This record gives sequence, C-alpha cells and structure tokens, in this order.
Amino acid sequence: MIQVVNVSKKYSNGFEALININIHIGKEEFVFIVGPSGAGKTTLMKLLYREELPTSGDIIIDKINVAELKSHQVPYLRRNMGVVFQDYKLLPKRTVWENIAFALQVVGRPRSLIRRQVSLALELVGLVNKAGSFPADLSGGEQQRACIARAIVNNPPLLIADEPTGNLDPNTSWEIINLLDKINRRKTTVIVSTHNKNIVDIMRKRVIALESGRVIRDEQLGAYGNAK
Amino acid sequence: MLNSIEFFVGEAWTGFKRSGIMSFVAVGTVIVSLTIFGVFLMGVVNIGSIMGTISSNMQISAYVDRSLERYEVENIKNRIIKLRGVSSVKYVPKTEAWNKFKDEYGKQLNLDSAISDNPLPDTFIIQVEVPELVPQVAKQITGMPMIGEVRYSGKLLDQIESLASAVRIGGVILVCMLSVATLLIVINTIRLTVIAREKDISIMKLVGATNSFIKWPFIIEGVIIGIIGSAFSFAILKSSYDIIILQVKLALPFLPLITDQAHLFMIYVIVGCVGIFLGMIGGYISVSKSLNEFN
Repeated sequence: MIQVVNVSKKYSNGFEALININIHIGKEEFVFIVGPSGAGKTTLMKLLYREELPTSGDIIIDKINVAELKSHQVPYLRRNMGVVFQDYKLLPKRTVWENIAFALQVVGRPRSLIRRQVSLALELVGLVNKAGSFPADLSGGEQQRACIARAIVNNPPLLIADEPTGNLDPNTSWEIINLLDKINRRKTTVIVSTHNKNIVDIMRKRVIALESGRVIRDEQLGAYGNAK
Repeated sequence: MLNSIEFFVGEAWTGFKRSGIMSFVAVGTVIVSLTIFGVFLMGVVNIGSIMGTISSNMQISAYVDRSLERYEVENIKNRIIKLRGVSSVKYVPKTEAWNKFKDEYGKQLNLDSAISDNPLPDTFIIQVEVPELVPQVAKQITGMPMIGEVRYSGKLLDQIESLASAVRIGGVILVCMLSVATLLIVINTIRLTVIAREKDISIMKLVGATNSFIKWPFIIEGVIIGIIGSAFSFAILKSSYDIIILQVKLALPFLPLITDQAHLFMIYVIVGCVGIFLGMIGGYISVSKSLNEFN
C-alpha cells in the first residue's frame, strides 16, 4: 500500500531529517515507527500526508506518487487517510459532534450521511455520551478519542497517528492504543509513531526504528529495542 | 450542495460577528464609498438630462427694452426673419409670457403672494435651423434697435459641459480612490477572520477540504459586508435624493431633473452591485493571500 523509496528530506536550515529511507508497508498492517526525538519520525509522517515534500525519492500510496501530486490534488489524497496528532487539534469552539462532523462537512458530504457516520465513529471510540461536550470539558484521553473519531469518520483505508499517546498517562495511553488496534482489525492500515517503549514491547507489532534520519531496524513482531 | 452553502453562510456570519469593530469599520467604509459613488452617478445622470434638454433647443430669446407698438413689432420681426438660418420668429408679449409661466409653475412657487407685478419683458422667440448658426444669429440680433439682452442656450451649454466634465473627472478619481481604500479595509477585516480561523483552516486542509471550499466562507463574509453597506447606502441615497429633489424643484422648477423611479432604481442597483462586488473581491484577495502563506 505504501512504498517509501530512497527518500531524503533536508530542511532549508540544512538539517537532514531523513537520509535515504526505504520502507514498504502492506495493506491492513499495523506499524510502529519508533526512535528518539529528532530521529525523523514526525518528518516521515508529514511526508506521508504531504504536509512536507521530500528533497529526493518517491512516496507511493495506492499507486499514487505523493511527491508528484499537484497542490490542488492534495485534498483528494487526504480524504483517503486519517491523521491523529499528539495535541489533538480539535476546534475549541465546536462540540465533539461538530468537530467530527466538520471533517465530513468540508468535503461536502450530505447531512444524512454525516449524521450516520458521526454516530458510528462516536460509538467506535466510546464517546457517544460526550457528543455535546466541548473539547475543554474532556480529559486528554477523551480528546484523543475525539481526534481519532474525526480521523476515521470518513472510513479511510489509512490511519496515521503521530505520537498519539505523547500527552497521556499510561492507562489512557493503553486505551488509545487498543482503540487503534481495534481500528486496524477493521481492515484499516495503521501507522503509529511513538516513544512509548512499554506499549511497543507488549503489542508485538511490526517496528521500524529510526535514528538520525536513517532506518536502523525493521522487524515483524518487534520490540522497542535499543532505540533511546 | 445545499449543505455546503448552509455551512459557508454559517461560517461567514460567525466570522463577520467575530471580527466585531473591524466589521463595522468595513461596513462604514463601504457605506461612505457607495454613497459618494451614488451621489456622483446621480450628478452625472442629472447633468446629462439637463444638457440633453438644452441642446435639443435651438432657440434664441431676445428681450425688448420697452413696450413696443404693433408696427415696431412687425418691423423687428421682418428684420429677424431675413437673417440666415432663422426659421421662425414669434413675439411673446410680457402678459402672455407671465400667464404662461404662472400656469406652469404658479402652484409650486406660490407666485401670486410672492410677486404682484409682472417681472418679465416682452420677448422675441427665434427658432434657428441648425445649432451652429445660433451664436451668429444671436450676435446680429443683439445689434438691433430696441433689443436689450439676447439669450441662447449655447453659453449655458458650454458652462454645463465644463461642469459636467469636471464632475466626471473628479468623480472618477474620487470613486477609484475610495474603491481602493474600501477594498483594503475589507481585505484587512477578513484577514482578521482568516487569522482567527488559522487552526480551522489547517484542519480543513488536513481532512481534505479543497482550497476553493475553504475560500467560500471568507468570500461570503465579504459579500455580507457589501450587502449591509449597500443597504445603508441605498437608504441614505434614496431619502436624501428625494428631499434634495423636492427642494431643487421648488427653487428651480424648470430644471429637467430625474425623478423617474425606474431610472433611479437602476442607479441604486449599480451602487448595490458595486458594494457587493467590492466585498467579494476583498474577501477573495484576503483569503487567497493567506492560504498561500499557510501552504
């Protein structure tokens, strides 16, 4: 489903975030991207949802070379993926329901479909009783679940989560990871970048370890390993 | 589609309210600009109407110094009719002119109580065949005995023409300057909304909203500013024009000013369209500029 071929990314300040990366991720896989801060995890994620462009190399998602997309084509790429952030990026003046519906409204979905899809997403993440609450009234875990609901409400085949448990306590982190695992079992490809050694070691999923912009390890049923 | 329009308008209205004082400033600027534009348009069409009436009139009025005997009248008439270009001469005694004037304007001006004596002189009304000959004929009549002042519309026409071109040039410059100022203020107002919505916009982009979709609420916000500005400007123009026209008609009843509502309605429509257009363009420029920066 995803092929990252000889990708390098050098920022304008000269920092080389990624150096000649090669990764292949199949359909319905669950992959952890691990590594210390500055290893290039977030840059890799941003290249996937085309927030950034690679300096060289190709990123192919579902046979489309993301690096070559024209900017007016980018929205259609993003409709086929959900993105989850460490800081949730919820709109503070909208309720949970409205935040999730927003993702469908802005792609012009009809109201009846929005109502149905938002209810399903809320049910999946377990936030039905918080639909009318504002983000500020939710706990961190609930906000992250709202963010996940927004990411999957459009039923995308790919879910990208950048440090989704970065701001959460261990128990809540587990809730979120289990939720992502549940989404993966519904045949969605899930890519999670994380620092959380405990979770990675227990989950036993595929682990791609980055360090100083290079892939140092890529293991099926891997562990967090020596990466700091 | 209907859902999207509802979404756009809702977002636009929220943005308009959220910008608070800046929205009022923008609406105020639109009102001022459109009102001045409307006044300018009305000036131009009225001057046009006056000029049209005057230039279709190839007539000279020659006022007589004193009362004339019948043979004197015939004598002068014969001399005038022989001049080149004159098609007809008519003698209007002052009593006849006064009665006619009273019939036409007496009621509006309340003449009987204001003026008891007839102030008009006896007059020869000379019709000329072509407008170019009017000054020449007038000059020849001026030299005749017993003829006092000679008037024709040419002089007035020249004066009005120069006034009209001054109004047109001044108006165009003023309207251009005001349009630019209005546009800048609308752009800055909507920019405030764009900045306040930076997070919304980045999330819209992340979940796959197209740029054109993101732009619509801001363009509509500009249109809202334009519509409100136009509405106020219409109210100001309509009420003040009606009052001014009434006063001018009383003072100068013979001026062919435009009172035809259909004609005026066109002016209001033009003014309104300009307002909405300015708002729309302002919104578009503002959000396009910002979206490029966000990329």
